[in-house]
Amino acid sequence: MASDDVRTDRRYSKDHEWTKQENDHVVVGITAFAVDQLGDITLVNLDVKPGDTITAGTAFGTIESVKTLSDLFAPVSGKVTRVNGDLESRPELVNEDCYGAAWMIEVAPSDPGELGALMDPAAYAELLKTAAH
Amino acid sequence: MPTDPLRDLLQPARDQVAPLGAPKPRRARAVWIGRRRYAPIHDLQKQLVEARAQGRIDDTILLLEHDPVITLGPRANPENVLLDAGALNERDIDLVATGRGGDVTYHGPGQLVCYPLLDLRPDRCDVRRYVRSLAEVMILLAREHHVEGGVVDGMIGVWVDRAAPEEWGGAEWAREIAKLGAIGVRLSRWLTMHGFALNIAVDLEAFEMIVPCGIRDHGVTSLHQLTGRKLTVAEVALASAPQLARGLDLDVARVEDLSAVADLAGALIAPEAVAGEGRSAR
Repeated sequence: MASDDVRTDRRYSKDHEWTKQENDHVVVGITAFAVDQLGDITLVNLDVKPGDTITAGTAFGTIESVKTLSDLFAPVSGKVTRVNGDLESRPELVNEDCYGAAWMIEVAPSDPGELGALMDPAAYAELLKTAAH
Repeated sequence: MPTDPLRDLLQPARDQVAPLGAPKPRRARAVWIGRRRYAPIHDLQKQLVEARAQGRIDDTILLLEHDPVITLGPRANPENVLLDAGALNERDIDLVATGRGGDVTYHGPGQLVCYPLLDLRPDRCDVRRYVRSLAEVMILLAREHHVEGGVVDGMIGVWVDRAAPEEWGGAEWAREIAKLGAIGVRLSRWLTMHGFALNIAVDLEAFEMIVPCGIRDHGVTSLHQLTGRKLTVAEVALASAPQLARGLDLDVARVEDLSAVADLAGALIAPEAVAGEGRSAR
């Protein structure tokens, strides 16, 4: 997957997470650019479970690649409704399909305004242009 | 962007004239803090990261050796610790769960531990490149003692050929690879924590208490074992400024000796309060 792969059906955070609205829920994952910065993913720790409350900008888990543990930050606040249990046993899914099978959590957002404040695909693609080195 | 393993080696030496227009490396403060217990230094790292995030301090590099400790990454396999709690207690070895990458490792006297607390933004947000740069520092430090180390695909760390420690042509040419240095990092919004541990003259039997990072097939070695030379962690640490600077692409003027300082947070977060107290090592 190319690192500048930006999907048009979602919105993006500065921490390189994507959010996708599905009915009144928001699915969260990390972008192809984030995956490219991390390298081969060896572990995904989701520290939340359904029913937990998360706050935008705070960590909801960690992801490990090349002996490095990196924080995962919630792009929106709300109540966690689902977590992707497959990632515990198959962290490599994040490398294979970060926009699909490797979704991380689903949230019932508590503040719809937060979603609007995230970047649209064009703005995120622009951010990647300046971030690329 | 793929990292060219030769790139770092081909960089001009730091005393050569930098090309016009090349950005100057960022200034970093490196300090040797002597032998310390694990837990208080873990707390110190967190304080320094917070201060770095707030822009109150420069990039800071801690150099130290730990009292004996076995540390576990977040989902370390407990089976990789081969002694029970009682036996560890009897030998006065701490067992600590810690938030770095990797499985199980041992730290103890005779091992140079390096914790760079850096802000990788804006121009070095690349995990593989950062991890490679940590390995590069260890390779450069080993080279000072005529040991050639290298990296091996899929096995993060620095490796040597025990059969021919003065040369390294890659793992495929090595007869008996052994681990000289380990890497484990924590990143939060591109602020780094933890780092590397290079075996200078560590008690290698201590590694028999664990399966280091779950790798059973290869041994662990040290500069002392490879060269027969008696080296102290302090002497390697206090002379490490050029290798830290080159490997991490930072401006590291010297390594300050803060090994006698009790209040490290005070000394490192409010440096003006102790200006002149840290002796220059070089």
